[in-house]
Amino acid sequence: MTTTTERGRAGQRADRDTHFEVEQFYYHEAELLDDGRYTDWLDLLDEDLDYWMPTRTNRLRRQQAMSVAARGEAAFYDETKESLAWRIRRFDSGMAWAEDPPSRTRHLITNIAARHVDPADHPGFTEDDLVVRSAFLVYRNRLEREENVFAGGRTDVLRRAGSGLLIARRTILLDQNTLLSKNISTFF
Amino acid sequence: MTRNVDVSGLVDTAGGLLDRAIFTDDRIYRQELRRVFAPSWLFLAHTDQFHKPGDFFTTYMGEDPVIVTMDKHRRIRAYLNSCRHRGARVCRADFGATRNFTCTYHGWSYDLEGKLVSIPNRDGYPESFKAGDWGLVEVPHVDSYHGLVFGTWNPQPVSLRESLGDMAWYMDAMLDHDPEGTAVVGGVHKWVLEGNWKLAAEQFATDWYHVNMSHASALMLLSPIGKGPKDEIVHRTGRQYVDPNGHGAGFPVHPKNRFDARTVHQWMDYDALRARLGDARVEGPLTNGHATVFPNFSYLPVNGSIRIWHPKGPDRMEVWAWTIVDKSMPPEVREAQRLYNLRTFGPSGIFEQDDGENWSEVQAVSNGFITNGVPLNYQMGMGSEREDGRFPGTTSELYSDAAGRSFYARWRELMNTPAWHEGGDR
Repeated sequence: MTTTTERGRAGQRADRDTHFEVEQFYYHEAELLDDGRYTDWLDLLDEDLDYWMPTRTNRLRRQQAMSVAARGEAAFYDETKESLAWRIRRFDSGMAWAEDPPSRTRHLITNIAARHVDPADHPGFTEDDLVVRSAFLVYRNRLEREENVFAGGRTDVLRRAGSGLLIARRTILLDQNTLLSKNISTFF
Repeated sequence: MTRNVDVSGLVDTAGGLLDRAIFTDDRIYRQELRRVFAPSWLFLAHTDQFHKPGDFFTTYMGEDPVIVTMDKHRRIRAYLNSCRHRGARVCRADFGATRNFTCTYHGWSYDLEGKLVSIPNRDGYPESFKAGDWGLVEVPHVDSYHGLVFGTWNPQPVSLRESLGDMAWYMDAMLDHDPEGTAVVGGVHKWVLEGNWKLAAEQFATDWYHVNMSHASALMLLSPIGKGPKDEIVHRTGRQYVDPNGHGAGFPVHPKNRFDARTVHQWMDYDALRARLGDARVEGPLTNGHATVFPNFSYLPVNGSIRIWHPKGPDRMEVWAWTIVDKSMPPEVREAQRLYNLRTFGPSGIFEQDDGENWSEVQAVSNGFITNGVPLNYQMGMGSEREDGRFPGTTSELYSDAAGRSFYARWRELMNTPAWHEGGDR
């Protein structure tokens, strides 16, 4: 594993070992979400987490640059670690009916590409930290025959924390305009 | 003609019984589009979505696609979003700014006044062809009330203000906090639900009852950690407004009846609000209530959530929800309101999730032959409707189906009345 700081890694593609480490980290995260171990999932998130899932709109081609809602506009999630913990406490109430009986979910994470952070683009982070793009396919099956498929991409900033990684920033782009499900009761 | 269903026997307001066929029958649904949606004032957009000529927003009236735009004279107008030539939509963006609407099929192009201004291969048409006859079909009446834009296809409607009646007094508790009015923050949340549109509309008109059970998990989150929902939440008293035109609004009357973000609550100048709106409104509908403007526009005053339940067949609807704020709110207060609404009544919200679950559940089981024949109970608060001397019009208890009965009475009346387009045909 590359743990020593080398010059000139900023913005460079991470090596094979780092990619393997990131993949394993995401597979573990997916397992926690699919097993409903949300409190354990929270432990993978850093204290200064910014977790954002904007809505996406159909725009004329010349206005396409604005097709992802800006910060401060409509979002499916716009969360801190504290607000995610608040949402997760709901599941522990025993009365969160939209997830009782619980859904079956499968988080498939793929197309992972990790680069070392360029601190010029991400103030407060170092070259040890990683900017990772990935794709997800989340299948939800609920009650007798309800089905939803959520496909999209994520851009994370993962922070080196001791021997592991923590999610410090996550932007989620769902590949839908109108949300094609009755709610969002899982995380991505 | 037999194509219309007589729904008299399906809605028993005196007995408080409802036949489930009104949620499942395709003929009834098609009749709703003709007789409930076409003649009624329907919510289109918020005036804050239009700042300069050419700003547009596309939406639906019933299942009819419409473009809402501001013309050169800064008038908000609405047109059927369907080319007069072969019928494709002439605008397929959700919103934006443009000078004209051009169909991408053959290229017919319309200006902001809906006029047909450009036709490729024009010389192929006969001399009798007059472009002036082929403009976009315009929604004949568009009007707004405190920033909310409504339109109707009815050529001779009662005015929007008249159709709102006393409901306007209750709406002002959300829309008229100060002279600056309201603004939209951040666009529109859109999501689908497997349920008849009336399930949502009637709930927002009449159903405080479900809050304690359906939203038990959310109420716990809003209470101190480790304790159940606060007693003052569960055992609230309040009133429900019952409008003869089918609108409805319920609200607790209690000094601690707000679920809202602390930042918003602290910013509100309650003394000024009392002076402007009166004590009854500040202690009633300005707080944590629910409301529906018949047929399919609803809102939650404390969250600033306004939404429309677009019908998409007897068993499906689409929810379009905006967050509105007072224009006078500073940025950090607007942001607090936006985040609070997103986290409670967005599609991932701690309240909204459970509402969607209920409606799809009711819908899913209603197709059974026996199930469909078992009526639903709307008897709560029967006989409690009265004038209470404090709130305008007829009111009932907070826990009551009274506004629901009135909602369905209005629905029945419209369903059994030939609309203008039927030429007296029953």
